[in-house]
Amino acid sequence: MNNFSVRQFAMLLKRELLEHTTLFFYAPVILAALIFLFTAWVLHMLPGDELAIAIEYVAVAFDGLSPRDMAPLFMSLSIPFTLVFSICAVVYLLSTLYQDRKDSSVLFWHSMPVSDLRTVLSKLVALIVVAPLFYIAVLFVLYLLGIGWMTLLGFNYDIAVAGLAYLLMAALLSLLLVYCSMVISGLWLFPTVGWLLLFSAFARRAPLMWAVGVFMLLLFLEDFVFGSQFLANWIESRSNPGQYIVFDIADLLPRLFNYDMLFGIAVGSILVGGAVVMRRFTD
Amino acid sequence: MMEQVRALLLKNRYSVLVTTITAYVLVVVIEGAVTGREARVIDLDNPYFELNIQDFEEFRDRRERE
Amino acid sequence: MTSIVHAKGLEKSFGRFRALKGVDLDIPRGAISGLIGPNGAGKTTTLKALIGLCDVQGELEVAGQDPRRARHKLMEEVCFIADVGILPRWLRVNQLLDYVAAVHPRFDRGRAEQFLASTDIPPNKRIKELSKGMITQLHLAVVMAIDVRLLVLDEPTLGLDIVYRKEFYDRLLNDFYDGDRTIIISTHQVEEIEALLSHLVFINKGEIVLNTQMSELEIRYSELIVQSDKMAEAEALGPIYQRKTLGKHCLTFEDVPREKLQPLGEVITPSVADLFVAKMRQDRVLGEAAATGEAGHE
Repeated sequence: MNNFSVRQFAMLLKRELLEHTTLFFYAPVILAALIFLFTAWVLHMLPGDELAIAIEYVAVAFDGLSPRDMAPLFMSLSIPFTLVFSICAVVYLLSTLYQDRKDSSVLFWHSMPVSDLRTVLSKLVALIVVAPLFYIAVLFVLYLLGIGWMTLLGFNYDIAVAGLAYLLMAALLSLLLVYCSMVISGLWLFPTVGWLLLFSAFARRAPLMWAVGVFMLLLFLEDFVFGSQFLANWIESRSNPGQYIVFDIADLLPRLFNYDMLFGIAVGSILVGGAVVMRRFTD
Repeated sequence: MMEQVRALLLKNRYSVLVTTITAYVLVVVIEGAVTGREARVIDLDNPYFELNIQDFEEFRDRRERE
Repeated sequence: MTSIVHAKGLEKSFGRFRALKGVDLDIPRGAISGLIGPNGAGKTTTLKALIGLCDVQGELEVAGQDPRRARHKLMEEVCFIADVGILPRWLRVNQLLDYVAAVHPRFDRGRAEQFLASTDIPPNKRIKELSKGMITQLHLAVVMAIDVRLLVLDEPTLGLDIVYRKEFYDRLLNDFYDGDRTIIISTHQVEEIEALLSHLVFINKGEIVLNTQMSELEIRYSELIVQSDKMAEAEALGPIYQRKTLGKHCLTFEDVPREKLQPLGEVITPSVADLFVAKMRQDRVLGEAAATGEAGHE
């Protein structure tokens, strides 16, 4: 990897983010704004003493906890973000090798000295590694608002919620955990990622219909022709979120390096490879 | 010979799709048959911290009694 | 002179439609070559095949590489402008320059900016907000700032007004062409590029019907404005095409020495447009003859 090739790859990543600002940036910002407004509205409706009780409860619950113990609690706020992210990821994967063929800008991209493999890799890295950074950045702002508000209210009702520094550390730690969870889910679901990319590169129209349709057809065929359900088992064995959410940094390496994870990445690479080859057909 | 097979498999969009999916399904099915795959779920429970509405209700009642 | 493009027996089918039926093409380095043919003749398919944007069967070598194997390598030496605006519409002008600068090792950003400064293109606008003429100008500015050996233009000025078209070709000739680079242009507005071409290729129904140097054109082809009393004599020499303008008969001849024609009237070199019509007509007549010949056997 020389200097030029690193710069080129960085630009390919930037290209993805510029094209999909809606999915990677505006989506989490809008979600955060909605959550903020909703919370403000709920708190506004709540009578003052209820609020005081709630804060005191939090204060008692947090009492004596280390940031490391508090972090998983903060993570619950990330659930709507990871849900929105997964929807955006599906939209991204299905359109990323499809849209440029439709508006024929693929001819321009192909007239640049960038190989199809590099292009597809940049899309994977943009989605799995870079995009979650934007989501947690927005989440961080939301955390800051929350912590600031709790502290202010705490002063108001004379309740000492766990020290500000502790809360901040817990928030940062939870962001790290959310980020790791997002990256690990991207890798764990690599076969799905590859499947969607393959149909994004294949379909002349309606890539989602193709992706879902062919899959259903395969499940149905296997059951009917061979009477086995290997494909259905395969999906089931991969679809429990417990397999990729990280609650503690110590969990990180075991989640990354286990047989199932590595096999998933290997078999998903077949599909990604198919998408790379498919990319040759621009029409 | 290899060249011809390659050319046939990569002839058009449809052949690439069929080739890729066949390879994928074969690997998944064979691995599934060999390892007797089942869902290996790692414990989802948050081991550190619990916060639930019931606790909160109790807390409020207790506090109101005081 | 060595060839920058060498193609032999290129074949391409879309379903049952045979877009290319064995195209042989050699284009020497430094040529400005016009690829001319009616709509659906296979111009775009041929050009796309040359730069690896379309899979074809047959022997193919461009700038010493097989475009089907190493498209991205080839693209360091070759650039492409298409008839439709292929620049990504969501990108801004300066983002486009950033992109090419980072991705293309032979791009000179300063040069592109210099070109853009002489146009009305605002650097902050998105490409979708530009007019079609501006998009072509922008693409040309980018391409001319890349030090490539071969430039492939597929109907580059389609749908542009005369001012843009003229400027486009002026720029191309003055600022890009240096005698060593090669340009391949496909178009059906032949008159406009006639003066700049050094080579001429006619394509029809997926086959090359003519491939010649412009300088050879006047040796092989002649147009006779025939005196009315010599008509029968002229027809006996086997013209490939006849037409009537302003009451005069013009006959186009292929490989007939001018000395034989001179006594029959005024001999000139046919314009590319007239030669094109003549060759297309000849192709059709031959085709029909072959068809009736086959029918006769049954």
